[in-house]
Amino acid sequence: MQIKKILNRKEIKKIEEIIEKNYGCKVRLRNMFMTGDEKLWIAGEDVNIVALSNLKNCYRIGIYFGRLKRNNKIKLSMEGATIVGRKARKNIAIVGDKEAIKFAEGNDIHEYKEIDCEKNNFIIVKRSNDVIGVGILRDDYIENLIPKARRMR
Amino acid sequence: MLPDYEKFFISPEWKSIRVNTLKISKEKLLEKIDFEVKEMPWYEYGLWAKGEISRSLEYYMGYYHIQEAGSMIPPLFLPLQEDKKSIVIDACAAPGSKTTQMAMMMENNGVIIANDVNIKRIRALVHNVQKAGAMNVVIAAYDARRLYSMGIEADYILLDAPCTASGKIAKVESIIKKWNYARIKAMARKQKKLIEGAYHALKKDGVMVYSTCSIEPEENEEVIDFAIKNFNLEPEKFKIRNLKTRQGIKEWYGKRYEGAEKCIRIWPQDNQTEGFFICRLRKY
Repeated sequence: MQIKKILNRKEIKKIEEIIEKNYGCKVRLRNMFMTGDEKLWIAGEDVNIVALSNLKNCYRIGIYFGRLKRNNKIKLSMEGATIVGRKARKNIAIVGDKEAIKFAEGNDIHEYKEIDCEKNNFIIVKRSNDVIGVGILRDDYIENLIPKARRMR
Repeated sequence: MLPDYEKFFISPEWKSIRVNTLKISKEKLLEKIDFEVKEMPWYEYGLWAKGEISRSLEYYMGYYHIQEAGSMIPPLFLPLQEDKKSIVIDACAAPGSKTTQMAMMMENNGVIIANDVNIKRIRALVHNVQKAGAMNVVIAAYDARRLYSMGIEADYILLDAPCTASGKIAKVESIIKKWNYARIKAMARKQKKLIEGAYHALKKDGVMVYSTCSIEPEENEEVIDFAIKNFNLEPEKFKIRNLKTRQGIKEWYGKRYEGAEKCIRIWPQDNQTEGFFICRLRKY
């Protein structure tokens, strides 16, 4: 695994601030690193990223958290959204069972309730307190961002 | 063939699932799912389920993992709930059911090195680790026969070795067609190399669990006998409450196996699982 940068406390703090600005909640993140300029990963507290990334055949460390965009937004992965989503207070769309399934299958959705959402921004789609995924809020629909491999079949 | 062999075949109606407590509590999951479930008497997070288990939002969200009931047993032989900060190697990890179960037992603490040599199978492992939210997992691609080349000494090793899978006969009848003695012998040779590789990657006083889903003594008791006679490994007795188990086979075609009385055999008809062989070994 080619790690570009292991984030220090100050850099992680910046990620936490971006999340707070976008989703209105404080989350405490630890042990994060980047591969490439945008991809953010998170590992368990006891995982020594430096030592393990030096393993000759290391394929992956921890889980994919999301993609840091140049405009100071983060496109969260499903698991990144799960970490953030339970506490999130804004940029949330709440859906019912039917729309949740539709969204999980990879479709855009038109019926949802917005909570403090900003147009053309990343939003977390939830059913009650369950995080269903991430999308972009367009004028009258939510654009689906769930990757093909992760969709409900 | 036994005249009443059909009674050994497991009902395909009931599948087994494991609650993923990294994402949800068992109580909350039970409130959400709309298919029929029954508790497993021997594992609090294992459930028998009937219905469309692979097409539910809860499965999609990673709240539970579809896992064969027998495959939930080997990780329970490691004291991971008491020793969460440890270094664990899952030597033949793909597709990751046991890896994610161990991550859950450790509550994302410590480190699990999930190893598999097959890149195609690693893809499934990556998917399952991500879906489970198992942050303490590091995926590596070493030949498990040379695990020591990783340069890491583990507190615990799970060696769920590749096998002829004859314990799956109760579910997959086609296994009978593939059965042949040459394959068993070849697999046993490989398993002995694997246990040697795992031994060298284990700390002194560390614990290794060797398991297969085969019921052939050559792949099981014979491998343990080989390990005891050639390395500093001592088998340990272990019991799981409410799980019906039987001792290992002590003698097979004139060969006597050392340590067989401390090994465990799980027969399909006893717990409605696949057949499994498990042995817990300590390095001294």
